[in-house]
Amino acid sequence: MTETRLQAQRIVKAFGNNPILRGVDVSLQKGEFGVLVGPSGCGKSTLLRIVAGLEEVSSGTIEIAGRDVTELPPKDRDIAMVFQSYALYPHLTVRENLAFGLTLRKTPPAEIAKRVTEASEMLGLEKLLERLPKQLSGGQRQRVAMGRAIVRRPKLFLFDEPLSNLDAALRAEVRVTIRNLHDRLDATTLYVTHDQVEAMTLGDKLWVLNGGKVEQTGAPLDVYARPRTLFVAAFLGSPKMNLVNVAVVHQGNSVLAEGQGVRTPIPSPRFGTLAKGMEATLGIRPHDVHIAGEGRELSCTLLVEFVEALGFEAYVHGKTLSDTGEGDAKLVVRLDAEHGRRVKVGEKVPLSFDPAHIHLFDKKTEIALDDKATE
Amino acid sequence: MIRALLLAAFAVLLVSLGAGCGEGPTKIVFWHAYRGDEEAALIKLTKDYEAEHKVTVELLSVPFDAYAAKLEAAVPHAHGPDAFIDAHERLGSHLQNKLVAPIGDALPEKDVASFEPVSMKAITIANVRYAVPLSEKCIALYLNEDLVPKTPRTIEELAALPVPKGSYPIVYEAGTPFYHAPFLSAFGAGMLTADGQFGMVGPGAEDSLRLVAGWQKNGLLPEEPSGALVKELFSTGKANAAISGPWLAGDLGSMKFRVEPLPLVGKTGQRMRPLLTVEGAFLTPGGSKREDVRAFVRYLGGKQASIVRATVGKQVVANKQAWEEPALQKDNVLLAFHAAAKDAEPMPTSTAMRATWVPAQEAIRKVLRGDAEPKAALEEARARFLDALKPPPPPPSPTPLFLVCGLVLAGLAFLMVKRVREPGFRAELRRGRGAYAYVLHAAAIVLLLVVLPLVVGALTSFFAGTRDQPQYVGLSNYTSILTARGGDLLGHGSFYLTLLVTVLWTICNIALHVGIGVLLGVLLSRQWLKLRAIYRVLLIIPWAVPNYVTSLAWKGMFHRQFGAINAILKALGAEPVSFFSHWSTAFAANVATNVWLGFPFMMVVTLGALTSIPKEVLEAAEVDGATRWQRFRHVTLPLLLPNMLPAVVLGTVWTFNMFNVVFLVSGGEPDGTTDILVSEAYRWAFTRNSQYGYAAAYAVIIMGLLFVMTRMLGRLTPKDVEKGEH
Repeated sequence: MTETRLQAQRIVKAFGNNPILRGVDVSLQKGEFGVLVGPSGCGKSTLLRIVAGLEEVSSGTIEIAGRDVTELPPKDRDIAMVFQSYALYPHLTVRENLAFGLTLRKTPPAEIAKRVTEASEMLGLEKLLERLPKQLSGGQRQRVAMGRAIVRRPKLFLFDEPLSNLDAALRAEVRVTIRNLHDRLDATTLYVTHDQVEAMTLGDKLWVLNGGKVEQTGAPLDVYARPRTLFVAAFLGSPKMNLVNVAVVHQGNSVLAEGQGVRTPIPSPRFGTLAKGMEATLGIRPHDVHIAGEGRELSCTLLVEFVEALGFEAYVHGKTLSDTGEGDAKLVVRLDAEHGRRVKVGEKVPLSFDPAHIHLFDKKTEIALDDKATE
Repeated sequence: MIRALLLAAFAVLLVSLGAGCGEGPTKIVFWHAYRGDEEAALIKLTKDYEAEHKVTVELLSVPFDAYAAKLEAAVPHAHGPDAFIDAHERLGSHLQNKLVAPIGDALPEKDVASFEPVSMKAITIANVRYAVPLSEKCIALYLNEDLVPKTPRTIEELAALPVPKGSYPIVYEAGTPFYHAPFLSAFGAGMLTADGQFGMVGPGAEDSLRLVAGWQKNGLLPEEPSGALVKELFSTGKANAAISGPWLAGDLGSMKFRVEPLPLVGKTGQRMRPLLTVEGAFLTPGGSKREDVRAFVRYLGGKQASIVRATVGKQVVANKQAWEEPALQKDNVLLAFHAAAKDAEPMPTSTAMRATWVPAQEAIRKVLRGDAEPKAALEEARARFLDALKPPPPPPSPTPLFLVCGLVLAGLAFLMVKRVREPGFRAELRRGRGAYAYVLHAAAIVLLLVVLPLVVGALTSFFAGTRDQPQYVGLSNYTSILTARGGDLLGHGSFYLTLLVTVLWTICNIALHVGIGVLLGVLLSRQWLKLRAIYRVLLIIPWAVPNYVTSLAWKGMFHRQFGAINAILKALGAEPVSFFSHWSTAFAANVATNVWLGFPFMMVVTLGALTSIPKEVLEAAEVDGATRWQRFRHVTLPLLLPNMLPAVVLGTVWTFNMFNVVFLVSGGEPDGTTDILVSEAYRWAFTRNSQYGYAAAYAVIIMGLLFVMTRMLGRLTPKDVEKGEH
């Protein structure tokens, strides 16, 4: 039986005349892991702070576990938050940091001790309990910050870019820890990040924010596979999706996208009927481009400028060869290690776009022409 | 380069030092401490003299407060004046310090008859004359013409005249020995006996106190009278009569008053004889050898010069012939003081006189407050006088000191040699040569201005006696201090009692400074508070005002009858408080003043320290469920205090040594019990027979205490919670 844990409706926030959020809806069921993702300044952190109660809304309502908390201070919302800087109490030991919230709530000492032990075991903090924050490494501090949230057993966990102060290796490790903890505790979590890898790997549900509005929401893989706008398409995925300016060309029974040295078929059932001469932006992810031949139709020819060999795969950077005078397009293509090794700078490589993974966006509205994505 | 500069500086120093010695015989350097009319008269006389005699007289006006010290510093090194004007009662001390020489032919035998006999007596010691008497200063009785048309015969009758409520028959600085001395004389006692003993004992002295204490008890005298209060009351017609000196006349404006010599005391039938100060022109040993200097000094005391000093300078001149001048016969105030001076008693010149003032004052005030019977108070005063004059112990063998110094020096030398021999030391030194060149001048200045005086001061503590005849006494100053001079360990004025008061003083102040400072700092850092910038400036003002100004203002506010605080208490229907009559209230007055002076510093430090607390930590506490108060108590405060520790250490040192407030507000009242260690050290140096060595020992002990205290406070810093980390 599902239960709604967070329901934020029509959230508007402005600092003076400067709107930060322009009517955002976010909701989470019990046990869900929601991720707010977007570039700097999109309003995601402000939204999280509004849910926490650290900022007031200009308008809109927030319910946590069925209770309207819009006007309540943070302490009465039954939430816990992990800050980007961890915000540990520098003068308190790890144990005292963990126990702080419970002590304030006059939890019986035995209960405090039990919960602190539990949390520290869960996070591997047992040996650090008597240390002060400044004696800990970044990763350890991060775990203490999480422990401080866990012991409280709140209705809702809030994370504000908790991994951005960690190095890359540790980040991957802690990412897994966070997801595991979430599942073990059957927690409900709202997580803010600007990192699309975190967004993709952690969340059950994703909100892509841009300019104070939700561009798209849904399960991460769905959003990735079917970006509804050009912004979402460009934001999710690494390396970024290739974008080419094209026009729709009808040739016999088939419909083609043509422009900037690219000429590739558009699978008709997916995009419905496209008017002839219509201008659009074609998007194709680097790993959906292959070397032409062996049954793969030529879409364009790439002049190789630079090869990033990563061992198990290679990213080839280059530009399309265009004879129509509308300029060339920059492309990044993922090749397997075998092909990658063979490609040389200055070489011309024939490429084929996988028609099944072509995205088309309206030139003006930047909304996907793919009708399934607009559902 | 640097060596050349240093040499040049040294040469300049030598030349400037030498300049004092190498002056031509035509220039006379003359020092005085006159201001206003008196200075104008002196300048006029000097100009006249220069015009007639082809000499140059260089007049130097030296501030009165520093006068003796400057003379003592300059004259022995032939660097000071050739002649100077000073009060005769300093003669004993000047002789001891070899600052003066006999007057010689500047006052030849034939001139003696033209001076007032009393002034001649004042400047003569063992039949040797040391100055040309210039003027006489003493106190007399001022009467309000409208209120007292006919002068009563005795002081008792004057005191018995009826007055309206809020007015007084007589006002004077009753708590000051100088003003009580005329009463003593009428009862046959004095401040000092002829053989240099404390004279304020015996039935006469006791009766004089009983008389005055009786008036005080019956409300005939204002409470805690100061010079300013006397002037205020008399000039506004709230007092029939005042006992004061010539200086009061200048402040009375158009008021109708007359001056008369002090009346009789009815009980003894004796006249009240005030203490007389004779100002004379003295010759320094160098100046006494020069004929032109002697001639100039003789001229200053002569008839014509006296007339100028009397008419322009408003002085009661000591030259009898000058009084024949008709112009002087018209000035009633001058005439009255002249008459009063004839009957006055020259202040004793003995150095022991200076040791009488404080014990006498403490005794008089105790009796006036009703805290003690005259007999007991005076006996105590005598004991304190004797204690201050206790001769230094016989000089011990200096061998132990030399031994200790030698050992310390040997140890230092050993350490230095060891360090120099360390491998790489020379290379390091060579590498740092540039850096040493940069700090050399600063180090030299610190050495000269800080370290050297400190060492000299510390060395002084091994000596007793006067500056010119220091007597090595080893550690006896220290043992004497630490054994409370053989008295009760917590007895009056003992080191331990004073230390206790000082510690209490420091704790109270620091607690309130930090408490109020943190409170206001936190308030001022709140975003919701409007007009914060204005409040901040207003709250910093107490800190910006010089502390002695504030101290004097607060002292006035704490006055028993006329202070603002008692006015408020009265308006609220409470009984007025004599703040300086009880230890607790006097101490509280000191603390209140110092808190007022000190909290802005802590407030500013708090404002700074608050910015070092990360905002997210406070937000984390908010999410963790802390209320506003809990956030302050459990997060802000623990993060704030370690950052404030350096300020607290500084504040502790300042407060521990806060001389100005204690000296100016309570002045140690009542009975020296609110004195702290520094003010006690001051009293040993400047009011108890100039026991500089003893005061220096106090200073060394204070420094030691502060050193230990600072180290202890430093320990308090939890090493790992220095800053809110991020």
